Amino acid sequence: MFRGLFYLLIFPGLAFQVVCGLIFEWIDRKLLARFQRRIGPPWYQPVADLIKLFSKEDLVPLGSYDLVEVLLPLISLSAVLTAGLYIPIARFTPFSFEGDLIVIQFLMSVPTLAYYLAGIASVGIYSILGGGRSLLQYFSYEVPLLITISGPAVMAGSWSVAEISRSQLTMGPFIIFQPLGFILAVVGLIGKLKRDPLDIPSASSEVVGGSLTEFSGAKLGFWYLVMNVQAVVGIFLLVNLYMGWSNLTFPFAAILVFLVEFLLMVLILSTTSAVFARLRIDQLAGLGWRILVPLALTQLGFVILMGV
Amino acid sequence: MDKISIPIGPHHPLLKEPLSMRIDIAGERVLGGTLRMGYVHRGIEKMTAQRTYVQDVHLIERICGICSHVHTTTFCLGVEKLLGIDVPPRAQYIRALMCELERVHSHLLWLGILSKHVGLETVFMHTWHDRELALDIMEGISGGRVSHAANQIGGVRFDLSPEQEVMVKENIGKLKAQVSGVLGVIENEPALRARTQGVAPVSADLIRDYCVVGPVARASGVDVDLRRDDPWPPYDQLDVNVITRPEGDAWARTLIRALETRESLRLCEVLLRQMPEGPVTVRAPRKVPEGEVVTRSEAPRGEVLYYLRSDGSDKPARLKVRTPTLAVLSLLPEQLSKIHVADIPVVLAGIDLCIACADR
Amino acid sequence: MKAMRKRHSLLDAIIDAVFSRPDTVAYPFGELQLPEGYRGAIVINPENCTGCGLCVRDCPTGALKLEKKSRDEFKLIHYPARCAYCSQCESSCVRGAIGHSNALVGATDRPRELIVVLKDKKEGED
Ligand code: SF4
Ligand code: SF4
Repeated sequence: MFRGLFYLLIFPGLAFQVVCGLIFEWIDRKLLARFQRRIGPPWYQPVADLIKLFSKEDLVPLGSYDLVEVLLPLISLSAVLTAGLYIPIARFTPFSFEGDLIVIQFLMSVPTLAYYLAGIASVGIYSILGGGRSLLQYFSYEVPLLITISGPAVMAGSWSVAEISRSQLTMGPFIIFQPLGFILAVVGLIGKLKRDPLDIPSASSEVVGGSLTEFSGAKLGFWYLVMNVQAVVGIFLLVNLYMGWSNLTFPFAAILVFLVEFLLMVLILSTTSAVFARLRIDQLAGLGWRILVPLALTQLGFVILMGV
Repeated sequence: MDKISIPIGPHHPLLKEPLSMRIDIAGERVLGGTLRMGYVHRGIEKMTAQRTYVQDVHLIERICGICSHVHTTTFCLGVEKLLGIDVPPRAQYIRALMCELERVHSHLLWLGILSKHVGLETVFMHTWHDRELALDIMEGISGGRVSHAANQIGGVRFDLSPEQEVMVKENIGKLKAQVSGVLGVIENEPALRARTQGVAPVSADLIRDYCVVGPVARASGVDVDLRRDDPWPPYDQLDVNVITRPEGDAWARTLIRALETRESLRLCEVLLRQMPEGPVTVRAPRKVPEGEVVTRSEAPRGEVLYYLRSDGSDKPARLKVRTPTLAVLSLLPEQLSKIHVADIPVVLAGIDLCIACADR
Repeated sequence: MKAMRKRHSLLDAIIDAVFSRPDTVAYPFGELQLPEGYRGAIVINPENCTGCGLCVRDCPTGALKLEKKSRDEFKLIHYPARCAYCSQCESSCVRGAIGHSNALVGATDRPRELIVVLKDKKEGED
């Protein structure tokens, strides 16, 4: 009983994920700042931002569904936190079961749908535009991402992330066999996180704040938390699926390797967001369906052929 | 799909200055837009009539926050013409040098804004880093980053010391290297090209119909540049290469501005090399004889026109300013149709609005 | 992708940026560098000022005020919050008495700092 609570609330649950999310935000912002010749924020900046948001007045625009608005970020947060529970962190998996990859995929989609609903619920004109865009974007990246992610599963012959991760100790990390798949998965992850260059739903020069335009105070704080935790969970997932080095038996080495892989992923995400311009929504749809899907299918085909 | 109309401005992350637009969209397509302006009207033209010519120079400097120097230069040229005084050649050269530096800084600023609007914040930061070099030069020689207070009626307020000349040359050399880097990015960065190429092209006929000037006109193949067409000294002694592109789209405008930056830097070097010795100012009487005068010069955004009528006192009777942005703004509704919502920032940024200039 | 092939690409610029010093300053902790001729606070050389009022006449913002009682008794006052730091007073003063120092003038919430008496000449002083 207490053990379960510990897993849920401390490690690898709430506390751990949130702290990781804040650390991720800081590293990301710092890296971006250095890419842009800036000093960047001090280490406590994400926490300070969060405290500031939580202490601010919460404005609810007239005509919006305020209960829905409160529930949406909370639901998304719990969804991504739950998804995080099933992902092994340096070999440690309390809740793993066969098929959890599908569950994680499903749970990770919840914030996107909630984001869409948030746009509709808060009746602002930019929110509705942003919400619609997030749904369009969802259809563009989700299909290639799903196809790509089944690559490692097929290769390992299991739909459990822990199992896939472990099988790489004997077979070698999948990034070597599926480099294309890894790139596609990163693209899909960027789309999921609505990060530059796929920040179409929240592009400030086009739709102000996207779905979150009318959000303020603690609700906005929760949304930012959702984004960061989602990023961390996504990174953990990719690390496990493609870079299975972290399953070393020696625990200290496993943690170290896991950390290095995590930082590597953050570096990749920051660099892409610094180097690429935002795509137009029609360009993204074209990219998703005309390029990413065929590539993902090719990758999956190779994996299946290799297995035969 | 339903038609909805979205408000852009007067407060919007896209706009740095207040301007209001209502844009009708259906889904992600833009159907058309209307424009409202006048949010930063400060009545500067009227205010100049209540101040002396000496004070007006400083007031006029505040019409624009980017091209402040070219405004005062045009005004001073007009007053000097009425007074019938000759400005010493060294002062003319310093004026032109500041004008060119201002063009460099304005264009680099603009490049940054465009890249920020298409989501390339890195380019934004890097071009503004380069722009800081141009600002450093101007701050070093005039004492102010944007309000240089360089002009006074009869010349310029400061002289270039030999050390300052060395500093200017050094920084211009550095800037040249940086600008060629920026040019490389604009020409080769596929992400930037994908967002700007073919966006809202404007034909040369349309440009002529709306009397559009400046880089926007040159990007559509209209060959106008007052530095060559109606030069004030020392531009008549320089050969200014006017750069034009036939495409007329947002990418051509980007490229034009980058190329013009390079050309301006070249002109700066020529100006420094040819800079004559001598005084930088002559005494000007406070009362200006009766008369009317029109002066024009090429600001970073196109032609600036000053009309000045004097009634013989020490205050102008009427001053009329025409800035390039107004003409370009009238072209805006024309461009805001049959594009994507995501192209609105590119179109808006592409014409390089200066609302403070347009409203005065 | 294509960006990597060309010499002046964004990726190069980024790598360059990481290995060079950041441009920003952690103000107010960092050091602020102002050039020699920066037009900062208005200062006066009281010996040279005769209270002629030329600077007051030309000041475009009305930031200078001359309270003149007689030829020997006057007060020259400067209001920093109104001043545009345009250096017109410096050009107008024929005696070179008034001018800029290169000290940065920030905003202030102390009313005392909003009125600066540049010169307060009493009867009998020279
Ligand atoms: S500062 Fe100069 S101009 Fe002003 S009152 Fe004194 S002497 Fe006259
Ligand atoms: S700097 Fe300009 S505004 Fe300030 S006191 Fe001198 S003349 Fe007046």
